[in-house]
Amino acid sequence: MVRGTGTPARRAWQTPPVDPSPTSADLAVRTVGLGRRFGERWAVRDLSLELHRGEVFGLLGPNGAGKTTTIRLLAALIGPSAGSARIDGLDLVREADGVRARVGVLTEAPGLYEKLSAVRNLDFFGKLQGLPTAVRVERIERLLRLFDLWDRRHEPTGTFSKGMKQKLAIARALLHDPPVLFLDEPTAALDPEAAAIVRDAIATLRGQGRTIVLCTHVLPEAERLCDRIGFLRTTLLRVDTPARLRSAHADGRVRVRLAAPAGPELLASLRGTPGVAAVEAAADGLVAELRDAGTGTPTLVRTLVAAGAAILEVRPEAASLEDVYFEVMGTPADGEAAA
Amino acid sequence: MRVAWVAAVLEREAADLLRNRLLLLSILGPPVVIVVGPVILGKLAAGRALPAGLAGALVAGRPEWASLNPGDLAAAYSFQQFLLFFLMLPAFIPLSIATFSIIGEKQSRTLEAVLATPIRTGELLAGKAIAAAVPGIAGGLLAYLGFAGLVRALYGPALFGIVSAPDWLAATFLLGPAIALLSVVLGVLVSARANDPRTAQQVGAVIVVPLVGAVIAQAAGRFLVDATGYALAALVVLLIATAGLRAGSWLFAREAILTRWR
Repeated sequence: MVRGTGTPARRAWQTPPVDPSPTSADLAVRTVGLGRRFGERWAVRDLSLELHRGEVFGLLGPNGAGKTTTIRLLAALIGPSAGSARIDGLDLVREADGVRARVGVLTEAPGLYEKLSAVRNLDFFGKLQGLPTAVRVERIERLLRLFDLWDRRHEPTGTFSKGMKQKLAIARALLHDPPVLFLDEPTAALDPEAAAIVRDAIATLRGQGRTIVLCTHVLPEAERLCDRIGFLRTTLLRVDTPARLRSAHADGRVRVRLAAPAGPELLASLRGTPGVAAVEAAADGLVAELRDAGTGTPTLVRTLVAAGAAILEVRPEAASLEDVYFEVMGTPADGEAAA
Repeated sequence: MRVAWVAAVLEREAADLLRNRLLLLSILGPPVVIVVGPVILGKLAAGRALPAGLAGALVAGRPEWASLNPGDLAAAYSFQQFLLFFLMLPAFIPLSIATFSIIGEKQSRTLEAVLATPIRTGELLAGKAIAAAVPGIAGGLLAYLGFAGLVRALYGPALFGIVSAPDWLAATFLLGPAIALLSVVLGVLVSARANDPRTAQQVGAVIVVPLVGAVIAQAAGRFLVDATGYALAALVVLLIATAGLRAGSWLFAREAILTRWR
C-alpha cells in the first residue's frame, strides 16, 4: 500500500536475478535495431533491447538523448524509421492499437484535465481504454484509495499538489491494468516526500510483476528501483545491472577496515608491495588502489597479516552510479568540447 | 469509427465546456443580443417609413413584400439585415470552442496521454468537431427560433411570414450548419499552429469577413439573396469545409500532434 502522508515506509530493495537466456514468451519488450529519425537527425538509433517480464529497466541519459522518443516509440505513439519491436508479444507497427491497450504511459507532464475531478479524469481515460462501467468504477476506487486520493476524488485536479497530480497520472497509467509501464521522469519537480511516495508506488508496481521502463535523471532512484540500467545517447551505450556497472568501474580500489588505525609504517610497507599502485589512510582503515584487483587483493591481505594488522573487512570499493554515468556519457566538459 | 470513443470525447468536452465560465459567457451572450436586438430595432423602424427609392427597390426585389404597409416594410427591412447575424453564431461559437479545446489541451499537455490510449485520431477529431459544431448549430437555430417566436408574438403574422420565408429557413437550416462545420475545420487548422486561443480566434475570424461583407452589401441594397442562393452558398461552404477536413485530418494524425504541433 502506498501511503500519502508522513514518511513513506522504506522497502527492503532486492533485485531478482535476470534470466540470461530468456525465451520470447518471457520477454515483455523486444526491439531490434529500432530507430527514429526526424528529418536528417536520428533521435534514437539501433536500439536493440530485451526486457523480461517483471523487470524494471532504467533509461538514463542527458536531455535530448532520446529517452522520451524511445518511450513514444515503444508505446506506439510514433512510428519507427528503422528496426522492429514487439511489446507484450505484439508487433509495434502492425498491432499498434493492441500495443497501446497493453502499455501504460506516464508522460513527462501529468497531462490532467484540471477543471475535472480525479474521478472524471480517470473515468474518461477508462472509457478510452474501452473498460466497461463496472470495471471502471471498481478500478477507479481501488487506485484512488491506493494512492491516497480517495478523499479528494470529487475535487478539480487543478487544486491538487504536484505530487497528487503525479500520483493521479500514475493511477491513470494503471487503469487498464497494463503489463508494461513506461514512466517518463516520474519524480521530476516533486518535493522529497512526494518523490518518495511515487518511488514507493513504483516499487509496489514492480512487486506486482509489471515490466517497467523508467526514464529518470535521479541516479540514486534508478539504482534503487531498477534491475538493469541502460545508458542512452541516441543509441544504447551500455546496459547492465547497477551492481555490475558499479563494480566494473571500480578501478581496482579496495577498502580495508582495520581494528586499529593504519600507521605510517604499515602504509609504507604496503606501498612497496607488488601490484599495489597507491595506498591512503581512511578513518576506519585504509584504501588501496590495486593494479589488478584479482591478483592484488590476496597479496594485499597477506602483506597486512604479515605486518600484524587486525583485518575486520576487505571489500572492493564500487564506483558510484554517477561515476559510471560520467564515464559512459562523458563529463559535461567533454560534451561542451564535443559541441 | 467507434461510437463509444467519440461519445467519451464528446462527454468530456461538454463537461470541460460547462466548467469554463468565460467561454460559456462568450458563447451565450451574443445569441441574446442577436435575438433581442432586431426585435427592438424593428419596433423603432416600424414607426418610420423607408425612403421611397429604397422601398421601391425592396419591393422590386421581393414582390411578396408589396402587401406590407410602410411601417411593416421598414421593420421587414431591418429584420433582413439581421439574417446574416444569425449566421455569425454558427461561425464564431464552434471557432471559440474548437480553439479553446485544442489549444487548451496543448497548454495542459493532455493530448499525449489521450493519444497513448487505443483511441483513433479520427475518433478524437470527430468528438472534438461534434462538441464544437453542435453548440454553434444549436445556438444559431435556437436563436432563430426565439427570434421568430418573438416576431410572431410582437409583430403579428405578416412579419412572421417574412422571417419564416424560405430564404430565412435556407439560411438558418442549411447555410448555418455548413458554416459551423467550416468554422470547426478552421479552428482545428489554426489551433494546430497557434498556442493562444485568442490568436487562433483572430486568425480563424477570417471566416466572418465574407459574412460581414454580405451584411454591408445587403444593407446598402446591392443584393438580396433568395433561398436558392443560400442553399447554393451552403453547398459551396460544405465543399470548402470537406476539403479543409482532409487537411485537418492530416494535421490531427497521432504522429503530427506529437512531433509537429508546437
